[in-house]
Amino acid sequence: MFGLIGHSTNFGDAKRKALELGYDHIADGDLDVWCSAPPQLVEHVTVTSAVGKTIEGAYIDSCFVPEMLSRFKTARRKVLNAMELAQKKGINITALGGFTSIIFENFNLLQHKHVRNTTLQWERFTTGNTHTAWVICRQLEINAPMVGIDLKKARVAVIGATGDIGSAICRWLNNRTEVGELLLVARQQKPLLELQNQLGSGQVMSLEDALPQADAVIWVASMPKTLQIDPNCLQRPCLMIDGGYPKNLDSKFSGDGIHILKGGIVEFFKDIGWNMMQLAEMERPHRQMFACFAEAMILEFEECHTNFSWGRNNITLEKMDFIGEASVRHGFSTLNLKNQIQAAMA
Amino acid sequence: MQTLESSSVDLVEAKDSATALLPDFTTELYKDAYSRINAIVIEGEQEAHDNYMAIASLLPDQEEELKKLARMELSHMRGFTACGRNLGVKADMDFSKKFFSPLHNNFQEAFSKDKLPTCFLIQAILIEAFAISAYHIYIPVSDPFARKITEGVVQDEYLHLNYGQEWLKANFETCKDELIEANKVNLPLIRSMLEQVSKDAAVLHMEKEDLIEDFLIAYQEALTDIGFNTREIARMAASALIG
Repeated sequence: MFGLIGHSTNFGDAKRKALELGYDHIADGDLDVWCSAPPQLVEHVTVTSAVGKTIEGAYIDSCFVPEMLSRFKTARRKVLNAMELAQKKGINITALGGFTSIIFENFNLLQHKHVRNTTLQWERFTTGNTHTAWVICRQLEINAPMVGIDLKKARVAVIGATGDIGSAICRWLNNRTEVGELLLVARQQKPLLELQNQLGSGQVMSLEDALPQADAVIWVASMPKTLQIDPNCLQRPCLMIDGGYPKNLDSKFSGDGIHILKGGIVEFFKDIGWNMMQLAEMERPHRQMFACFAEAMILEFEECHTNFSWGRNNITLEKMDFIGEASVRHGFSTLNLKNQIQAAMA
Repeated sequence: MQTLESSSVDLVEAKDSATALLPDFTTELYKDAYSRINAIVIEGEQEAHDNYMAIASLLPDQEEELKKLARMELSHMRGFTACGRNLGVKADMDFSKKFFSPLHNNFQEAFSKDKLPTCFLIQAILIEAFAISAYHIYIPVSDPFARKITEGVVQDEYLHLNYGQEWLKANFETCKDELIEANKVNLPLIRSMLEQVSKDAAVLHMEKEDLIEDFLIAYQEALTDIGFNTREIARMAASALIG
């Protein structure tokens, strides 16, 4: 069985969803009530892949909402309790979706292996970052030519280049594609220079300097809240892939020739009988999902029960090859500009 | 997924929280709070002993097993009494008797009417879940002596919880309605007990939020195992969340 640990995108949505699911007493509660609400296994699902393999899965809502991010202990407890529930339900491989993996990584939850009488088995969990990185790379390769960008001549900025996903994307683009030039952007200079050294190419730049030069921008870090960018200074055409969470680039950038694509999203080849992706505000919730969630499904399809994506900067090209090949074989495709436009018109 | 913009701030907070984990066990403030918390634990174990002895009289064929459990609760009580002595604290037993009296009275009433499912719900599910969740949260912030005692107790408490669950599970169909009714009456008492204890618990570095969530996890697990479905449990557990 595969599992997905997710959460609502905001408190208002969480309350509405709780009401729909029949948790009406909790739905009425304030944020303090939600801070004490235990994780819930809200849905079971059966999925058959394009090659006919059938698997079972479950969606666990951690009852975390982004409004709890400032409460360190609450956020930590929400993630650990949801992971414990997944393990107790006997789920083989569970993806940490949304803020779950971010909290796990940033709050160093590796040191919290014991939850009550349960010892968490890390091999049962995956961040899903390998698949996310592979999907974003493919989204760039597929969509850049569609908007008139020749990748061989293009400058591609990776914002958040030293993170787990960002560094994997840089390695892939450097080794598996013929991208003109990589512009490497991150907050800290030292790891950036190390990355540049490992890659043997790429320019280290500030965000302000990189954006006006980039034909394509891959965002895998959240945007500084204070950042003000004049869209007139951007290249035309410019492809922006929003690989961050939550996905809010379209509220910051718009204009002719600026193409914004939701990054790290995949579409399954047929409808899945679940309601869970409505929580994640997918445009086609019966088919679309975060690539990190899809990674858990792919690993279950492949019977590869291991923490495939784990820790920082462990994503190799070989792992990306493996997950990418399996992704396509089992019926996943990347979200592209064309799908996005069609969904918006539907 | 990408990193948080505010990650540096959050990590500083995380480190501070880790270093400031243990309270000062020697302050008057701590000892004063401990006098009530310790008394609650001692009284809770005494209640458990008495309740299992009472249940034993309703289940003659399992009398020996239940009496064994009751004796175990008494040994827990002695362990926790030693914890108070170790810190030089006199447990405030008047407070704890009053604290448990509503639940105590409900158990006695159910017992007098031979309502075994209600008796089991109060003792084997509610009180045990309350105790286990509190002990789990107490262990990381306890003094070394109390830590050893409490860790040993937790292992035993899991046996008790399972015992009550097993009986209710085996008799689920016939006792479901009574359990729903008993939950409605008694779960709000647990919520009110958590509220009463929250200030003193905070002095011991046990947060109310943690206590409620951990209690609900233990309680929901027990209800799931007994046979309730997710929606029934959500409805049943709601009164523990909404004060």
